[in-house]
Parts: sequence; structure tokens; C-alpha cells
Amino acid sequence: MTEKQKELLRNLVPIFTLLILVFGIAAYEPGFLRPANLITVTADTMTLFLMASGATLVIMLGSIDLSIQAIASMTSCIVAAMLPIFGGTALLFALAAGATAGVLSGLVVNYLRIPSFVATLAIGGIMTSVAFWASDERSIYISDADKSAWLNWATGTTGGMDNEVLVGLAVLAGLSAILSLTRFGRLVRAVGSQERAVVASGINVNRVKFLAFVISGFMAGLAGLVMAARLGSGSPTLASEFLLPAIACIIVGGTAITGGVGSIWKTFVGALIIAVVRIGMTFVGVTVFAQQIVFGLVLVLAVAMTIDRTKVAVVK
Amino acid sequence: MTAVNPVLELRNVTKEFPGVRALDCVNIHVGRNEVVGLIGENGAGKSTLVKTLAGIHRIDEGELIFEGEPKSFRSPRDAFNHGLAMVFQEQSIIQTLTVAENIFLGREREFLRFGVIDKRAMNAAAKVELAKVHLDCDPAQKCARLDFAARQMVEIAKALSLDGRLDGDVVILLDEPTSVLERREIDLLFGIIRELKAKASIIFISHRLDEVLEVSDRVYVLRDGAVVHETTSSDASITGLHEHMVGRQLDHQYYRENKQRAAFGNPVLSVRDLSIDDEFSNLSFELAEGEILGLAGVVGSGREAFARCLGGLLPPSGGEVLIDGKPVRLNRPHQAVNSGFGFVPSERKSEGIVTGLSVAENMTLAAGERFSRLGFIRFEKERTECQSWIDRLQIRTPSSKTPMQSLSGGNQQKVVLSKWQIFGSKVAVLDHPTRGIDVGAKEDVYELIREMADQGVAIVLLGDTLEEVIGLSNRILVLRDGEVSASFDAPVGGKPDQLDLISKMV
Amino acid sequence: MASINLRALAPIGVFFLLCFVIAVFSPNFLSVSNAIRILNASAIPVVLVMGATFVILMGSIDLSVEGIVALCAVVTASLVLNDTTGANLGLWAVPFAVLAGGLIGAVNGATHVYLKVPSFMVTLGIGFVCLGIATAALGGFPVRISDRGFRALTLGRSLGLPNGIWVAAASVFVALIIQERTRLGRYVYAIGTDEITARQSGVPVERTRVLVFVLAGLFSGLAGAMAAAQLGQGHALIASGRLFTTITAVVVGGTALSGGVGSVLNSVVGVLIVVVLTNGMVLMGVPPFVQQGVQGFLIIVAVSLALDRRQLEVVK
Repeated sequence: MTEKQKELLRNLVPIFTLLILVFGIAAYEPGFLRPANLITVTADTMTLFLMASGATLVIMLGSIDLSIQAIASMTSCIVAAMLPIFGGTALLFALAAGATAGVLSGLVVNYLRIPSFVATLAIGGIMTSVAFWASDERSIYISDADKSAWLNWATGTTGGMDNEVLVGLAVLAGLSAILSLTRFGRLVRAVGSQERAVVASGINVNRVKFLAFVISGFMAGLAGLVMAARLGSGSPTLASEFLLPAIACIIVGGTAITGGVGSIWKTFVGALIIAVVRIGMTFVGVTVFAQQIVFGLVLVLAVAMTIDRTKVAVVK
Repeated sequence: MTAVNPVLELRNVTKEFPGVRALDCVNIHVGRNEVVGLIGENGAGKSTLVKTLAGIHRIDEGELIFEGEPKSFRSPRDAFNHGLAMVFQEQSIIQTLTVAENIFLGREREFLRFGVIDKRAMNAAAKVELAKVHLDCDPAQKCARLDFAARQMVEIAKALSLDGRLDGDVVILLDEPTSVLERREIDLLFGIIRELKAKASIIFISHRLDEVLEVSDRVYVLRDGAVVHETTSSDASITGLHEHMVGRQLDHQYYRENKQRAAFGNPVLSVRDLSIDDEFSNLSFELAEGEILGLAGVVGSGREAFARCLGGLLPPSGGEVLIDGKPVRLNRPHQAVNSGFGFVPSERKSEGIVTGLSVAENMTLAAGERFSRLGFIRFEKERTECQSWIDRLQIRTPSSKTPMQSLSGGNQQKVVLSKWQIFGSKVAVLDHPTRGIDVGAKEDVYELIREMADQGVAIVLLGDTLEEVIGLSNRILVLRDGEVSASFDAPVGGKPDQLDLISKMV
Repeated sequence: MASINLRALAPIGVFFLLCFVIAVFSPNFLSVSNAIRILNASAIPVVLVMGATFVILMGSIDLSVEGIVALCAVVTASLVLNDTTGANLGLWAVPFAVLAGGLIGAVNGATHVYLKVPSFMVTLGIGFVCLGIATAALGGFPVRISDRGFRALTLGRSLGLPNGIWVAAASVFVALIIQERTRLGRYVYAIGTDEITARQSGVPVERTRVLVFVLAGLFSGLAGAMAAAQLGQGHALIASGRLFTTITAVVVGGTALSGGVGSVLNSVVGVLIVVVLTNGMVLMGVPPFVQQGVQGFLIIVAVSLALDRRQLEVVK
């Protein structure tokens, strides 16, 4: 098989998986295919996609971001706590806090030379503390007035389409453009493929990594806002359960944990796969508790299937 | 010439890598209690031969016969267990373990009592092995605390520990064991080798001809993957061996000497008292536009470190480097590149090319800014400019969008060289630019180097062979132990002799 | 002994400095009862780091600590006299818990080695699987232990000290023997220092890697049983925060994440530092939610101090 065919196969497998899953569920429940239902399912998936979208860039670098769920929880607390006081400015604060977490991860990885999985684990811990502090260790309710005034962009509808979907599509388009049209996007791929050669070519690799972590933090922060808007509250454990599915949907979409290969639309497809699997499991009667078991296994298997073993002499 | 009782024999061994025949029908035999020397230039096939013996590479054709039987070792450990022990150029000592633990690594079984290692017994046994190499050190101390020479001795002790633990013969292979040793340590090593002869056979690989002659009974010369000469040490001379090592009569056309410039442009690069601790010190020279400066030296002479330093990959610890009279910083690769250096690394696959990116993406990797506007890539400009380079350098690729890994080694190297031409580097630092590419592609690379010089690029060249350095350079600096030991002018018709260089190298 | 260098002593120095500072601010710190309280609080973390240290010495990581501890706590609680199942094994439940932990460790190790998946990914996934099983098996409810005899495993006293401390001490002894006097222990250092050379020297790398994850699982299983005895119940969230403490303790103790350098004794000191810090913060009235942030910060500081940056060309 040539490189091209392999690439085509890699691109098609997730799409076919998604289609098979969708039609499998439709066979049980024909109503599933109604456009309104499909839109609802997509809208439900968007918080997951948003969290995973930025982290996709980090994984394409060959690194990982284990702080996204902590960042999302933190921004949900910040926005819920600050909306009554600052109004719309609270949104900017929250997004800035998300990006700042990414800045910290980027700095720690670049300048302290700490591997990203430890660096982001630690930064995630710090962000969790910030979330507890911001929320005073409880869930904060967002009033309907605040919600309709400031969070309508996330939860309302525009021309019959849920706004979550529009936000998701905008992020999909924006990040895809960055990845495929800009020099930064190309360097993300290059660093993930062969970092040493990129360094030797005189590229400031630190800048590339830094930006990827910032985008990841920002997107996780955005996901936290949308989550808070949908649930009408912020809490320091709001997104705790999302780390695993978020990474799973990146990998299931076909982005390799070893870096270099991947794209945002793959993560979009991956997020839909995860969502549909979840719906399917509910249909079959798998409890919410047990779904985590499935996702854990899916994650490990997907990593095993997509990993590029020629790239690592020693697997640690 | 056949020795009595060959213990180890290679019969018609051939090993091919994609595009390169690394070993070509090699016949070698090692007699019992014999010291056999193996010499050859870089790329002659020495390391492939070692790895083939160790079971790291499979033999494509031919056979390996050990103690009269055909054998195929699966790994260095498998070879070791059969009685063929290697002391590698890169040490295989685990620094966080003790001396005794290193000597018996993987063979702790004989010291187990109820599943627990009897450290006292192990240390005592290690003491016996250390005595064989006259190394007086505490076997319970960590290897990290030993100096390089002592670790080398531990490694040899590890090989010697086979003696007495095996019924059959023991062959010990020493791959460039002297390259980092002092004369006193070398004398000690040679004394040990002479003692060892009584119990084992030894293969001694080195680039120092005098040492090989001093210690070996018989010598093989390897060139281009084949054994070109075999002689007893008593019949050999350094000059004679050297001629066999280099072989081919110098063909001026091969290195495009007709295109060698005689006059150069303005001075570009000046290096003043440049040093890196433990690598090289007080290196100084000037280089002009279009001039090719060759660097000659053995492994450990500091020339590799110097090349990486100019590439920004090894920060200097002293001295300064100026381009066009302005001092430049070399702490990071991007500083070096933006100052005008273009580094072509010897490790093409890991540092030269980005597999996973296309040919065009590799070509414009360094010059990305010129091919983008506000961060967005100008695809059309990139495509047309890359296509013109592909045509001009005759890079064999279906298109500029082809993934880099599907190109042959030679074509990959042309892409790497074009990367710096597209960027507009003023000084090209070529670290073994023809390593691992086939003969035809080598000539293309030589052509390209001449062309770059014509366009006014100053070139610092570390050649794969001395012949290459002499053939391509306008001027040659010889490095020894981190210092310049000689400088030769190399104009067309007045090229220095290899022996002149070698005498200054060692 | 000459082999003790400054770097190995640094954690001990930090420990005493910390004690000194806390004692200045809070004289209660230096009492026998507080010392016992600190040792008691250290018992479970010490057992956990015994396994984690070997994994990290190998250059790998085990992120499944919380999952294994929780699942094994549930297993233990269900096997002793309790309010949910009819079992009454008493202390015999402990070996079952330890074995269960070892089994999960084997799954970790085998997946990591034979599917060649990086350990942080495998253990992340398997950890979630364990949490899922622990949650699903109980439907989200805890199992309450009514066996007083069993709870003596940590709560009872021998020779004036709580039994948990003795269990921890025994674990350290066993781990030390393994580290210093068995092939497994020596191979861990060899692999962590230079896996390729170790392999060429005949070290059975695959087997060692699997066994180390089994070992880590066994210790986590024991910690699970201890946690169940200490809290008198088993449920899925019983171990939350344990992963953080474990990794913090190992790296603060001076074991390098890059492998090859460190020791189980270092990790014991690391645990004491983390526990004393927590204890001191409580004494000084610092809110508990700050702890995760402080530990995250400690991880970053400790790892960046321990890393030999010149050796790391590429940090992912």
C-alpha cells in the first residue's frame, strides 16, 4: 500500500465508523435520523469538541495536555462567579484565564523542559485550586437574567440552528484554516513529525509549542463557558469527567498520539463518534457509570491502532 | 594465507541497505589466539561488519562460521553467550549500576541465593575480572564515578568474564578502543591484549594504522565494503596499508576540480578563538565568499562539535564568530540560521529532513517567512519556486507535494541543500554531506557544492573521506585533540597528499 | 559513604527546613501526637510510592493509581463484613485486594509492552476503566464496612503505633530488598538509564516492564485495602487526590522522571515532605483546596530542579 492509500484509509475509517454507528442506532430507533434530532446530538457534542479542538494541536506536536478539564471547570466557576458583578466582561476574564493556563503550561514545557504530561498534570492541579477558590468550593448558579443577557451566544438558536453547533463549526473552520493555511499550522505538523530537524532548520520551536498550548487552554476555557451556559451553573468539578472522552475523541478521529498526523475535522468526527457511542450505549442499557469503562478501553485501543511505532525506538 | 584453526570465519558475506552495498562478499577469518586488525576509512564498512558479527544486522548472503559451525546470532547478547564479546565504540556501560553489576548484567543467576542477589559473591567475582585488566577499583562503586578510560576497562573486563565461564573459544572484538585513551592507557590496553592472546582471539578495529600494526598479528584492509588487502603485520608498512585503504587513483573530474574557484569574493566568516569545553579550543580562521574550507580530523578531534557549534546546536563556551564583520550569537539554532549559517547535519534522517512533510514544505522550512504573508502561506509562490529548484537540481520526485520519505537518500540530501539556498545562507556548514548516499548521487552533491561556491556561498566541509575533503576544498584545516595542528592550501594541481594530512591527524 | 552526594541529600534538607519553618509558626507541630498523626497520614502514600517509584525509575509513569486503589478498596469492602454483600472474609480480604491490584497492573504492563502504547496513555485509560468498574459495580453507592477486626489493619495499634505505620514500614522493607537485592530491581535501573544498552546486555526488558507494573499494582491494591480499613467503606471516589500526592512525593523525593535515578527511600522522604506540608498548612489554617495547587507547583519545582537539561534535546 502506498503512502497515499494509507493516508486515505486513515481518513476514511473514522467517517465510516461514524456512519455505521449512526445507521446502527437508526436501525433500532428510526427517529434518530430526524434532522432535528441530529442537530440536538451535534449540539450536545460541541462542548466535548471544543475541549478537544485546541488539545488536538498539542497532540499533533507529539505532546499532550492533561489540564483541559481543569481549565474548563475553572472558567465555568470564574464566569458564574463574575457575571453578576462584571457582566459581559466576565466572559473575557474567563477566556483570558483559560489562555493563561495554556501560557503557564507552555512556559513550563519550554523553559523548565518538563515533559508535557507532567507539566499539564501539575498546571491542571493548580487550576483546580483556582476553581475551588473562585467558587468557594461549591456550585454557583447562573441567574436566568444573566444567562439570557450574556450567554445566549452559546445556548440560543439562530435561524433554527442551535448556537452550540454554530460555535463549534466556527471553531472547526477557524482552527482548520490555521492548521492548513498558516505557517504556524505547518510547523505544528513539522514539530510533531521530526522535531530535531525543525530545530536544526533554525525554527524557534518553543514559539510553536507555546502557541499550541495557549490555543489549547483558550479552547478549553471556551468549552467551560459553553458548559456553564448549558447547565446554568459553574462548579470546580464541572468538567472532571471530560478529560478522557476529550482525548479519546482526538485519537479516535485519527490523530496519532506520536504527533505529526492529524486535523481538526478528525477531532470533530471523533467527538461525534464518542457522542453516538454514548447514545448507543444508553439505548443498549449500559449505565452512565459503566460508560467510562468503555471509553477507557476505546482510548487505549485507539492509541494502539493509530500510534506510529517507527518513530519511537523506546516506548516509555 | 590461512591461519591454523580458524575460530571465527566470514565467508562471502554480503549486506545491502537500500541503495548501498555495505558489505560486498567479505571473507575474513580469525585464528585461535590471534590478534587480527581491521582498518578502513569512514564508510568502508567497518561498523556494518561489527554489527553483522554482533547480530544487530542480518547477513543477506554468505555465512558466519564460529567454532566450525555456521551460526546466526540474534543479538549482541546471543553472540556474547556463544563466546563472541564486543567492546563497542559507544560504551555499553550502565552508569547508574555498580561496576560488578555491569560486568554481570543479565547473568546474575550465578549469584542468586533464594532469589536474592549475593552482592558479596558478585563483588568478589568482579574483583577477579577487574584484576585481568589491571583495574584497581571498588566493584561496589557506581560506574558513573569512573572516568572514561576506566569504564572502557570495565567493558573489557565484562568481555573477559566469558573466559572460564564458557567451554568453547572466546573472541573479543574491540571497536576503536583507543580513540579516547591516553598513550599510557593505550600501552596498558596493549599489554592486556598481549596477555589475553593466551586465552582468546581478538579483533582490533582502529583508524590509527600505527596502533593496528603494533598490536595485531595480521591485518585486513576494508574499502567500499570489500576486503581489498590482507597482510601479516611484519610484512606491512603504514604507507602500504594506507594506499590500500584509499585505493582509487585520484580522479580530478570526480570532484569537479575544473569548477574549483581560484579567486574568492569578500571575506564573510571569521572565527576567533572559538572554544567548547572538552571539545575544541581556540579555533581561528577566516573564510571568503565562494571558498571551500575542508576540516580533517579523527573522531574526537573536535571537528564534529565545531560543525554543530556553527549550526547553533552546541553553544560555544568562548571566543567569537563574526559574519560580515558583525559578531553573531550561536546559542540556539535559529540565531545561527538568521545570522547566515546553513547547517547540513550528518544525521540526515533525524536532523536533516522532516519526514511527514512534503518536498516543497521541507525546501521552504527555513525560509518560511518569505513564503508567507501575515502568517498565511503563499502556496502559489512556494509551488513555482520549489518546482524551479527541483528542475534545476534534477531532484527525482513525482511532484513538489510528494512526501519527503519516499525520495531516495541522494535526492533527500539535495532537498536539504536547496533548503539553505532558498533561504539564502551565506555560510553552508556541511557535516558529511555524502554520508549514506550512492555513488551517482554523490557526484550530484559535489556538483551542487561547486555551484553553491560559484554563487558566493562560503562553505565549511567535513568530508566522509579524506579524499573527498582534499578533492573539494580550497583550503584544509587539520584538527587534532581539539586544536588546529596544520593548515594546507589545496589549489587545483597543488592538492596536499593524504599522508601529509594523516600525519597531522594522529 | 562516598556515594551520597549533595543532590541525594537535598530532599532530607528540605524536609528538616520545612519542619523548622512550620514549628516556628505553629509550636503544636512538634508534639509526639502530631508526629504520629503525620506518620499515620503517610502510611497509605508510602505504600503507593513504593510501586510508583519503580515505574518512574524505569522512565514510565502510572496514572492509574486512583483507579486501582478505588477498585481494590471496593473489592476489600465487599469481601469483609459489610452492609451490601454477604461476605465475611475478615483480614483474608487483603490478599484478594492485593491480587486484584496486581492483575490490573498486569493489564497495564502487558498493554504497554505488547501493544507498544506509551505508559501514560495506557494507565490513563485503564485507571478510568477501574474507576468505572468501581462506580458501576456499586451503582454509585458506597459499601460500608462493619468488621471492626478488619479495620484494625490501619486503626489498631501495636507497640504504641497505629498498625498502618507498620504495614507501610513492611512495604518499604520489601521494596528496598527488591530494589537492592533482586534482578528485577537492578534491571529497573538498567532500563531506566539506557534501555537499548540494557537490552543488548541481555536484560529481559519486556518481562521486567510488565513485572514492574504488576508490582505497582500490588502496592496500589494493598493501599486500597488500607484505605477501606481506614475509612470504613469502599467507594469509587475513595482515592481522589492520591495520584497527585503519589507523583508529587516521588519527584519531590528526588527520583527523576527520565528514569534511572532515585530510590524508594527518596520517595519515603518525598511522602514525608508532602504530608508535613499538608499538615503544616492545616495547622496554619490554609484552606484545604489550596493543597492540590501547592502540590502541582511542587511537582514543577521538583522536576525542574532534578532534570539534567543538557541531556534532553527534545521535550514532548
